[in-house]
Amino acid sequence: MGVLEGRFEPGVVTTTLDWLFNWARRNSPWPLSFGLACCAIEMMAAGAARFDMDRFGAGVFRPSPRQSDVMIVAGTVTEKMAPRLKTLYEQMPDPKWVIAMGACAISGGPFYWDAYHVVKGVDRLIPVDVYVPGCPPRPEALLFGILKLQEKISQETIARRRLPSVTAAGPMPGGSAV
Amino acid sequence: MVAYARSVWLGMVSVLAAMQVTLRYLFTHAITVQYPSVKRQLPLRSLNRHVLTVDPATDTLKCTACDSCARACPTRCITIVGAGKGKERHPVEFVIDHTLCMYCNLCVEACPFDAITMWTDMYEIGAFSRMGLLFGKGALTADRFYPSPDTPSPRSPVDAAAESAARSTR
Repeated sequence: MGVLEGRFEPGVVTTTLDWLFNWARRNSPWPLSFGLACCAIEMMAAGAARFDMDRFGAGVFRPSPRQSDVMIVAGTVTEKMAPRLKTLYEQMPDPKWVIAMGACAISGGPFYWDAYHVVKGVDRLIPVDVYVPGCPPRPEALLFGILKLQEKISQETIARRRLPSVTAAGPMPGGSAV
Repeated sequence: MVAYARSVWLGMVSVLAAMQVTLRYLFTHAITVQYPSVKRQLPLRSLNRHVLTVDPATDTLKCTACDSCARACPTRCITIVGAGKGKERHPVEFVIDHTLCMYCNLCVEACPFDAITMWTDMYEIGAFSRMGLLFGKGALTADRFYPSPDTPSPRSPVDAAAESAARSTR
């Protein structure tokens, strides 16, 4: 990600720095104010007084991608919006994360089968960290997604990653409930 | 000059009058719900993750794999594999793809056996991958009683007490 990323072997220094960096990054995931459809209304509700995303440091909606860490893709990503969305993601400074909020952003949702104009999932454009299902999700569900993202951020490391010795075709990662 | 001073004074007074609203709320309790520790009581009919209801008499799923819900689903997110004939028919696999589901309750309304309900309070289903949003039969099976549109409405005080008891356990 940054200049420090992947240049050191894991050790006492990197784990201490990891703790510091992850603490700072986890507690200030500033989102880009980026609402595409009705999910944005629930995102606003999550930022307002009753749910108050500021309690997790995530309530500072930045109007500029240069100042934001998390892109909450809230709503339907149309084919016309797709290049703009990709540009905004590329303009965000590293480290950056993406939350796909709502069925449309995750997979196209109601537009999955017979719409020509909707991107069938924002993960076809940019890497997604946390998926928050719902149509639209409750504000609590978005807060749960942010808590999951904080969980994920706190496991990141600046040390050089050791590749697994065997790369077998196993089940997909993540908590599969099937 | 007098008019100028007067307009300045009026401007200050109007700012104070507008701040009255803010000041009034400054001394009330915050309405913030401390979400991860305190969870809001949802309305009874709020639509959340599905649950396959269990027949308490036989302790099996009420679902007969008739495919009504899968056909009613506008996003075609339900996949059912059934087995058996007649009264023995039951779902072998029942997968709801929550990446597609749009929480419209049409599957519940289409179900002739009251076997599926969305009147649950499970909304915390975020995941790190799309596979984490596929819910199979095991994950969907109800662990306790959940109300559904076919649950009798409370007419007698006895029923009302039963429903309030059921709701208080949620």
